[in-house]
Amino acid sequence: MHQSIRRTLRRIRALTHRNTLEQELDEEVRLHVALEAAELARLHNLSPDDARRRALVAFGGVERYKEAHRDARGVRWLDELQQDIRYAARALGRSPTFTLSAIAILALGIGACTAVFSVVDAVVISHLPYPHDDRLIQIYERNSPTNQWPLSVADFQAIEQWQRTFTDVGLLRQADVPVATGGEPQRMSAGYATSGLFRALGVAPVVGRALGPADDAPGAPPVAVVTHRFAVDHLGGDYAAVGRSVDVDGVAYSVVGVLDQRYTDLGGRKGDVWPDARLAPPQRRGPFGMVVIARLKDGVTIDDAARDLARISRREFVVWQASFQDHEATLVPLSLRRVMLGDAPKTLILFSAAVVLVMLIAIANVAGLMLVRAAGRWREVSLRAVLGATRARIARLLVTESVMVSLAGAAVGVALGILGVRVLVAVGPRVARLAEAHVHVRAILFAVALALVAGIIIGAYPVVHLARGGAGGGVLGGERSVGGTRRTQALRAAFVVAEFALALPLLAAAALLLNSFVRLQRVNPGFDPSHVITMSVSLPSGRYSPINGRDTAIATYWTRALNNVRTVPGVVAAGLADQLPLSRDNLDENNFDLLDRPVPAGTAQPVTPWTVVTSDYFTALGVRLLSGRMFTPTDTGGQNPVLIVSQSWAHKYFPDGTAIGRKMVSGGCTSCPPVMIIGIVSDVTYTNLGDLPEGAYEPLTEGWGRTLALVVRTRGDPAAAIPGVSAALRSVEPSVTIADATPMAERLSASIADPRHAASLVAGFALVAALLAAIGIFGTLSYTVSMRRREIGVRLALGAKRQAVTGMIVRRGMAHAALGAALGLVAALIATRWLRSKLFEVSPADPLTLGAVIVGLLIVALAASWAPARRAAAIDPAEAIRAEASG
Amino acid sequence: MADRADLLQGTLDLLILKTLVLGPLHGWAISKRLRQLSDDVLEVGQGSLYPALYRLEDRGWIRAEWGTSPEAGGRRAKFYSLTADGRKHYAAERSQWRLFSTAVERVLKAT
Repeated sequence: MHQSIRRTLRRIRALTHRNTLEQELDEEVRLHVALEAAELARLHNLSPDDARRRALVAFGGVERYKEAHRDARGVRWLDELQQDIRYAARALGRSPTFTLSAIAILALGIGACTAVFSVVDAVVISHLPYPHDDRLIQIYERNSPTNQWPLSVADFQAIEQWQRTFTDVGLLRQADVPVATGGEPQRMSAGYATSGLFRALGVAPVVGRALGPADDAPGAPPVAVVTHRFAVDHLGGDYAAVGRSVDVDGVAYSVVGVLDQRYTDLGGRKGDVWPDARLAPPQRRGPFGMVVIARLKDGVTIDDAARDLARISRREFVVWQASFQDHEATLVPLSLRRVMLGDAPKTLILFSAAVVLVMLIAIANVAGLMLVRAAGRWREVSLRAVLGATRARIARLLVTESVMVSLAGAAVGVALGILGVRVLVAVGPRVARLAEAHVHVRAILFAVALALVAGIIIGAYPVVHLARGGAGGGVLGGERSVGGTRRTQALRAAFVVAEFALALPLLAAAALLLNSFVRLQRVNPGFDPSHVITMSVSLPSGRYSPINGRDTAIATYWTRALNNVRTVPGVVAAGLADQLPLSRDNLDENNFDLLDRPVPAGTAQPVTPWTVVTSDYFTALGVRLLSGRMFTPTDTGGQNPVLIVSQSWAHKYFPDGTAIGRKMVSGGCTSCPPVMIIGIVSDVTYTNLGDLPEGAYEPLTEGWGRTLALVVRTRGDPAAAIPGVSAALRSVEPSVTIADATPMAERLSASIADPRHAASLVAGFALVAALLAAIGIFGTLSYTVSMRRREIGVRLALGAKRQAVTGMIVRRGMAHAALGAALGLVAALIATRWLRSKLFEVSPADPLTLGAVIVGLLIVALAASWAPARRAAAIDPAEAIRAEASG
Repeated sequence: MADRADLLQGTLDLLILKTLVLGPLHGWAISKRLRQLSDDVLEVGQGSLYPALYRLEDRGWIRAEWGTSPEAGGRRAKFYSLTADGRKHYAAERSQWRLFSTAVERVLKAT
């Protein structure tokens, strides 16, 4: 044991002190020779020179002896590795075209893989920045396997009071509100939280304290925790921040703590400031929309928690039965990790599959190049074999060469990956923690591992060939005998076929996604987006807080502001709403129960996007009245509340066209007077483009919110109107905050950004794949032509038409491409089914799309075959035959 | 060189250890001592002497130290000496060898 350690240490010293040991050895040898020479001179009366010569002869070759000594030291492999690397570098340097193209091709593949891996690493593999993140859950309410929604204050308080399975439960309500630290208020994200949120997540501020139980109590002084960024930007740094006051939506909170800079969100919800939630006792079960996060007690499974929550649901249902009749609705726990991941895995799997295909094509491509190269070098390799290099040694040499190429590819690839990650972060799927993606150590190791595997695969065939006894025969036969064997030719063809077979599914996926995106883009959103701007306008609280339930000041502001905006030059119409089209995730929906056809007691009522609007909202947006009437100033709610519905809604619930005049109970308020439908307007999409554009509108007459969306139709360039409109809004109340002022067209385009980015990323990968396949076919055919020069020359000399020669080469290329495309089509038909959920109005097996892809790919193959074919036809028969004869 | 015997495989280690029993020697001195002790019969191929020395050192039977050699005019030389392990090993090897050579001799004497 002790001896083996000592030995290992000696070996290590032998490796690390190679130069010292070599010098010592040298010195020892020189001394030996000198002493031997002196002895010989003394005994035989020789001249010093003769003596020295004889001493050297007696020694038996200094270098051979050194070699034996090195063997004994166990460092021979290192020397040989160095030799291999030197040799491989020289060999690669002699063919820079091959080397550079192989490195570039592999760099593309490795770079794409590294970028996607980095994103997957940040989003999926890495832990959430909370201790034991697998114990964290978010609680939802669910009434069917497909319908779930976040909780209400009533739910949260019921859970907090009755739960037995959590160590802590916290609530969080996110809102974009005016935030001020002395100067002008700015719109920022506020995460109103209870102290349990910090305890459940296990997040402790770096400076100061988190919210505590005492802060949750009604009447406690308002306190807030802020992010590091906010402390630095607005409060003079982490330490200066504590004790300062922050005005969040009109309430002054004193800052008690600053979060570590890695926390820009909590539980996946962004927040600049985290004020205490100051929950008022609920009056009814809703409204919903609160994030509730809990930490499981040790030993408690998520199933235990589900049973506990089901028990709480039944108990809570009884309490709020008057305002909430859906007894199917049950509280359910979902892993916070899963919630934060959302749809990301699906998109990331798509990207991963795409880059894996690109990488495989790159490997096939370089392997093909390597075969061509190996064929050209067979004579040299054979010579080495004849001169006594062992097969293992030659194999190692060849693999060293391909691994060096692939490692160089990895180096460039990592650089490409760093750029690629930036692209992915900029245009990637909307998913938590994507912004954290960087090329980290793990990604670099991944790239290196990938390169090693690629290098070994690429170098494998020449080695296998060698093992079969290929080397040695090549010395006399020259390169042609080996380079042109049936086996290597078949293998090169197989690589080309594989490249096309791999490229086709990728191109098919890209084409399907693009086709789907184009259709999505053509969907009529229900309004004319040109000449429309939208913005979100907020009044500060304080002066604009409802007093005794009366919101006179707020209503007055909005009325005056609207009037002001209408007088701005270029403004045609202006209206207000509590939400805008394409609100998607932040959509306000409402449940309703038709008086004619009430749902059975205790089951879920239908829901629809529910927007509260002023009457000229429709004019400003360009929504047309189809039947019935618009809101009038006399529609003031009260005892005769009215409603306008969209065409799709009317058709869905009253297909016979009798929607007008029908009544319903809205929001489950059985004690409220029923609402009557007075008009039907053209469809507007509130969810995602392509969804059914249903919706209902309520007049904005009372209950004016402090934050509303303003929709303005302009005569000219909509963006140009933004300053004038902002000024008009501020002229009534200087402290309003205005956010998200954008032309409607941009909003529309942003709403389909995800499918656009997914389609363009996959299309990018597909183009790379097609390009590589084209390079592959070009390289192989070029090589074939150069190998068959003589044969082609003879054919031409015997009177073959040049077109026939061109045709022969092109046919060969097209045969490979077609076979690859056919195989790829089978793969595509199997694989693209998986895309179904990402496609809009396009079948995954859409024959037109797939047909177009195949034709496109074959055209690429034809173009790539053309140049080698032309070169073949241009061969001068006499010269080709002469060259062969002399060579 | 016809009157010189090739070394039997494996005996070189034993002989080297033997030369070192009396005290530390450097490489050339070891080869010279071997020649003298064998009356010039045994010639150590120098190419095998140093690897053997390294091997013995690696196994922990001898240790090497740099010193100065008076016969080389004060030049630096690497002196090898037996370790305790080496002495034990030498004794064991020697009895092994005696057993072996007696046995071989006996076989050869038989007619």
